[in-house]
Amino acid sequence: MSDADAPEAADTGDALLEVADVHTYYGESHILEGVSLSVDEGEVVALIGRNGVGKTTTLRSVLQLTAPREGSVRFRGEELVGEATNEVARRGVGWIPEERRVFSQLTVAENVRIAAPADGDPDAALELAFDTFPALAERPDAKAGALSGGQQQMLAIARGLVGDNDLLLVDEPSEGLAPQIVADVARALATVAEETTLLLVEQNLPLAMDLADRFYLLDNGQVVTDGEATSGVTDDEEIRRYLSA
Amino acid sequence: MMELPLVSMLDALGQFLRPSTLGEVVVNGLSKAAVYAMIAGGLTLIFGLMGVLNFAHGSLTMFGAYLGGLVLVLAVGQTTGVAARLAYFFVAAVVAFGLLAALGGAIEVGLIRPLYDRPPIYQILLTFGVTLVLDELARIVVDFYGLQPISDWQAALGTKPGVLSSSYEFAGVSANGLALFEIVVGALVVGAVWGFLTRTRYGLVVRAGSEDSEMAEALGIDVRRVFTTVFALGAGIAGVAGLLLAWDPKWGASVPLAAETLLPAFVVVIIGGLGTFRGTVYAALLVGLVDATMTWWFVNAIQFSALPEMTIFLLLVLVLIVKPQGLFGVAEVGGH
Repeated sequence: MSDADAPEAADTGDALLEVADVHTYYGESHILEGVSLSVDEGEVVALIGRNGVGKTTTLRSVLQLTAPREGSVRFRGEELVGEATNEVARRGVGWIPEERRVFSQLTVAENVRIAAPADGDPDAALELAFDTFPALAERPDAKAGALSGGQQQMLAIARGLVGDNDLLLVDEPSEGLAPQIVADVARALATVAEETTLLLVEQNLPLAMDLADRFYLLDNGQVVTDGEATSGVTDDEEIRRYLSA
Repeated sequence: MMELPLVSMLDALGQFLRPSTLGEVVVNGLSKAAVYAMIAGGLTLIFGLMGVLNFAHGSLTMFGAYLGGLVLVLAVGQTTGVAARLAYFFVAAVVAFGLLAALGGAIEVGLIRPLYDRPPIYQILLTFGVTLVLDELARIVVDFYGLQPISDWQAALGTKPGVLSSSYEFAGVSANGLALFEIVVGALVVGAVWGFLTRTRYGLVVRAGSEDSEMAEALGIDVRRVFTTVFALGAGIAGVAGLLLAWDPKWGASVPLAAETLLPAFVVVIIGGLGTFRGTVYAALLVGLVDATMTWWFVNAIQFSALPEMTIFLLLVLVLIVKPQGLFGVAEVGGH
């Protein structure tokens, strides 16, 4: 693990995603105070920290849903700051948001089809989604709003899977789910991670360390430490202090 | 001897329950429903996706009546046959749809788009202002060409083929030709919009964007462009509805048509549930049938012809008391 001092800038080697000194505000509230991180192709990187330290805002800043006022977000070397969110998505950045946000009035199949690229094959997208998540294949015409929390999470992940994304931003996938369902979600994410790079925000530290290759720890809108994701991280006193503070 | 009111009401009930009377009321109700669905359909599409209460919708309907009516007046002569007049109606519908869609798209891009990040009151005030400008513009132009702005444009009414003014009898049920035509046109328009929303990818995008525009954007959908398309579509439908009303002597092409259509359109949209097209279609059916039923009762039994128009507002109050979000309403729409 690195020193507890915040890194000044992300490693700018040949990273898939480079976030450098990003400052993001909600109104006048300064939420991200110079976040820097990088994600390499094929990696799973966890973003951990207490509630309200800026994890979700970091994902929203990458997507330009909440545009940074300062700093740089580069994806495959191209600047994303100033781009529209739909353009960021079209470049290959997908989002599995907190609380799923499936389209509840649309059917399961429609939720999958809308996530597939417009010029792609919707049937192939459905096949991929249903092969990966057989539980969804049993109810393709059910309204997404009628699914259980776990099924909705599967659908949200399926939407990210079929979107032809190179990078998936996954926000709190285990939030509000029963332990057995969390295990299913973890398996699903591990399957997705075989094909796609993930930047994962997760409060469940053992789950995050199990899935991730590396992690960044956020506190008060800044990266305070980062390192390899190992089971030992969950017992690290310094990390535990930040997470429980 | 004075007839007891109860007896006369029972007589009227007996007359109302005759199959021929019920059939006529249903046909009249469906024709009213077709008109209501058309004038409210565009309004609900726009509100459902964008959360914008478009007070200019009635003015767009009125523009459709005049522009579509102009096509008919220019194309139809005294010797023009029935089939040609009906064909010209559909040409005029395409023209009215295209022109109003272009105007609607321009209003969305030029005026409403800069206000999306502001509270809804800004959009309401803006569209109300657009209404004043459009109505005044129509008044000036109509006056310039020697027409009375507040009177129905008789030349446009006169292009209607005679077959639509006649009555026809099927299985003992008498039906007016125009009522049947309104049902056909309304069904075609509602069917086309329904097919667009449920059978096309763009319709899927509109439904998704109506529910969660931020999530739709994050899936690579240019929601702003969808906003423009839907505003244009809603304005185009208003234009076609206006054209249809230009042939209906109960409405007619006139500047006050803007206000006359806006009020029932809002009633139907609110009863159906703000922002749901399906709800608007069902609400139009409900309002149309209730309106036709009460019209029959107030004309034939109670003899107080001013009251039928009030019944749709009473229906609105009733629905709002029982189900404040409307019959098919969801808690929140237009979440951009």
